Amino acid sequence: MASAVLTDRRWIARGAERTSSARFALWLAPWAALLVLGIYAAGLCLYYGLNQTNMDNRFAFGLWIFLDLSVIALGAGAFFTGFLVYILGRADLKPILNAAVVLGFICYSGAVAVLMVDVGQPLRGWFTFWHPNTHSMLTEVTFCISCYLLVLTLEYIPVLLRNRQLGKGQPAAVFEYRLHHLVPVLAGLGAFLSFFHQGSLGGLYGVLRGRPFAFREGFSVWPSTFFLFVLSAIAVGPSFLMLVTAAVEKLTGRRQVPRELLRRLGFISGILLAVYVAAKSIDTLIWLNVTSPSVGFAPWEHYAYPPFGSALLFIEIVLFGLVPAGLLIYPRTARNRRWLLTGAALACCGILLNRFVMTVQTLALPTLAFDEFLSYIPSWQEVATFGGLIAYGVIVFSLSYRYLPLFGQEKREATDVSGR
Amino acid sequence: MFPGVDGFRWSFAHIIFLSAFFTVVLTILGTLASAALRTASDLRGGRAAGIAWKEEFAKLPETERRCRHELAGRVASRLCPNAFDCRHCREYGNYAALPARNETNTLGLHYPDNRFYHRGHTWVTPQDDGTLMVGLDDLAGHLVGDPDVIEVPPEGTEIQSDGTAWQMKKNGHTIRVRAPLDGAVVETGGPQKGWYLRLRPHGAVDLRHLLRGPEVAPWLAREIERLQLELTAPKTGPALADGGVLVAGMMDAMPEADWDAALAGTFLEA
Amino acid sequence: MKARYGMVIDVDRCTGCGACMVACAAENNVPPAAQRATARTGITPMLVHKVSDGAEGEDRREAFLPVTCMQCEHETPCVTVCPQQAVQLDPATGIVMQMPQRCLGCRYCMTACPYHARYFNWWDPVWPQGMEKSLNPGVAVRMRGVVEKCNLCHARLHAAQEKAAAAGKRTIDQHDYAPACVEACPTGAITFGNLADENDSVSRAARSPEAFRLLARLGTEPKIYYKSKRPWVRALAEPHTAQSRKEVQHG
Repeated sequence: MASAVLTDRRWIARGAERTSSARFALWLAPWAALLVLGIYAAGLCLYYGLNQTNMDNRFAFGLWIFLDLSVIALGAGAFFTGFLVYILGRADLKPILNAAVVLGFICYSGAVAVLMVDVGQPLRGWFTFWHPNTHSMLTEVTFCISCYLLVLTLEYIPVLLRNRQLGKGQPAAVFEYRLHHLVPVLAGLGAFLSFFHQGSLGGLYGVLRGRPFAFREGFSVWPSTFFLFVLSAIAVGPSFLMLVTAAVEKLTGRRQVPRELLRRLGFISGILLAVYVAAKSIDTLIWLNVTSPSVGFAPWEHYAYPPFGSALLFIEIVLFGLVPAGLLIYPRTARNRRWLLTGAALACCGILLNRFVMTVQTLALPTLAFDEFLSYIPSWQEVATFGGLIAYGVIVFSLSYRYLPLFGQEKREATDVSGR
Repeated sequence: MFPGVDGFRWSFAHIIFLSAFFTVVLTILGTLASAALRTASDLRGGRAAGIAWKEEFAKLPETERRCRHELAGRVASRLCPNAFDCRHCREYGNYAALPARNETNTLGLHYPDNRFYHRGHTWVTPQDDGTLMVGLDDLAGHLVGDPDVIEVPPEGTEIQSDGTAWQMKKNGHTIRVRAPLDGAVVETGGPQKGWYLRLRPHGAVDLRHLLRGPEVAPWLAREIERLQLELTAPKTGPALADGGVLVAGMMDAMPEADWDAALAGTFLEA
Repeated sequence: MKARYGMVIDVDRCTGCGACMVACAAENNVPPAAQRATARTGITPMLVHKVSDGAEGEDRREAFLPVTCMQCEHETPCVTVCPQQAVQLDPATGIVMQMPQRCLGCRYCMTACPYHARYFNWWDPVWPQGMEKSLNPGVAVRMRGVVEKCNLCHARLHAAQEKAAAAGKRTIDQHDYAPACVEACPTGAITFGNLADENDSVSRAARSPEAFRLLARLGTEPKIYYKSKRPWVRALAEPHTAQSRKEVQHG
């Protein structure tokens, strides 16, 4: 019955169907090459300095910050699914929890790795903990992301210990059992930390008084972008999770989770996206009519420089916000897999566009009277590092899928995906 | 961060921020420490085997987790919710009272009535002096044949139920035989003696979770069905014909078969 | 008494000679620019901008605007955002003090600064052999990966304080302390002093009707003032509308 040649059979769960070792190696090979290229590019930046990038004094944040913000928003599915399962008791989402944790771990560990290359002095990373600035959003982000990465690691360990070999032996099995029991605590902690750091990442931009494009008023110390970023993150997290699961199903030719589960994820994502679109629209109107003019910028000022025209705003809110929300909520489209996945993909694009606009457009726009509109194209080292992060994610997820019970219910769902 | 650092000044924001941070860090470390300490305590307190077994049981495929009452025909279909520990099963009594299918054909294998059988293919016979004899059942014996190496625990070792009773090595595979119950090793044997361990139990002996009577034959039939599927070479059909007698020493007779899977299924490993 | 050091720069006197930039670089041990450095990756704590009124041809008027750290007094943007307090507003002098040795190089402060007055060390500093003899011993050299900016030649303030202490005085003599750019300017366009002292020449200049501050509407309370009799120069304080800026860019 085992038609595939599996030289690593010992590591694969008994009875689980996996592709042959040779094919798996072939799948990993290009990603490994991309990862090596990424590590080399990052190595150049660490060795020679950040002059290897095309960032400069005016574009102090570039491709990598956009990447970090996007990847952290996409990885929000981890904490949010945990919150839904353990705090709100949505047991129907349990089958996808392991995959969500692995995806979250990939996103956060990758983001932190790229951040270490992005800062000028990575060895001084601990300074933030020794001299925290309670007024700075970035201090908050640093603390929360560090703690949350620790939480994700602790949530990943029980999944790792479910590997056939790693979980052998009493100490491993018992430790997994004991740690697994405490995962609800970690889930609660993760939700608390994630709320704050997703928000603070938005707060990073909202407090920039000197950048009228990004600056927002809000509640107390928190600008509106704080809440918008949290909302957009929890809206897109389930969508990204759904896309990754669908990709796994396509690649393996096997259904991994009940079809209903993907639809449910889409529905949750759609509802949150709709709330986000409403909130963002209100915020944009306030910004255009009150906040921005108060520092001297009339509405639409910020969109006078191509390619950052007002079409971008429309695309972000309508095409990548309202439309996917509709696709994910409206039963007729949500029931159709292609529309469901399209909605999820559009939602993810919306978040990517939002993070891009907040990072790059903010810095491109002039602030002084004698400033100009600036442009920035990332260098190959930046792009290669970006590619390396994606490769890292694909490799870790592929290995996790092959050797760990990521989707749990494999046996029951062992039907050909094409026969749906 | 700390009052001693140059320029540090206490403020309301600092109190909120630092208390939140330390609470979070302490909770994370506390979780890790709690899991580690409890693990250590379980390992020392003899609970480890039970916990590890429950984790392992959860990973077994559904076909290998059928309730004994389903095997005996008392109920059409039931998954065991208790990791085969009928001693602590609340519904055991309800199902045990139902009539069982009368099936005694043990397919040419030696399964005497005076023995109690564990799902991991060991048998238990209580002795007059209060000790319990433990051996490898006939199906497992046919599979393994002559083991290359036998590792029995020394006298005095505490065996935990569903933990390791003894280990055997054959053709490069390590077979971990699960213990059918708790006890201290009083004497060790081997294939030549026909039994492997003599255990002295702690307190009263409860053998309720072991199979006997009409449950044994249907269980064997399912096990042979499983082995038929697992040991089939790819592209050929099932090799074990119905009504035949099992070959002795199958690991030697069919070395190319997927013994990894077959042994795991037989000895209840995930 | 607390001081509030600031400047008033007379735009009408600035010829755009750049002596202030050179003096600043020399005083602050700014290394020679790397081979691949551009206008956007160089280190210029004092930077002279060429500005115009947007007209073309004969009617075009131009001026020079030296821009340095504005030493923002209120809710200093860079101080608020630095995750590890590597920049602080000195309560005694009002100088926004950058500590490169604590800087992580995250560049958040550079994003926050409305005046683009902060510069990142994209390269390791390299001085050609022999040039290290021209280094100012009072100013620490920065390594790559950290942000730096104008700190009103703080080393000179230290020197003035030491001189006062040696003479047994508690406050410095104002004449002993002037940043390098102030000294170097051949037309005396930069007035420097203590804004907290009402009688100081800088305070009086700052209160004149021709004085203005860049982006005053942001509310950062910069301590660097500009002065000009020309209305179009004063209009540079606030950003132009995009429409007029387009005219500036595309002529």
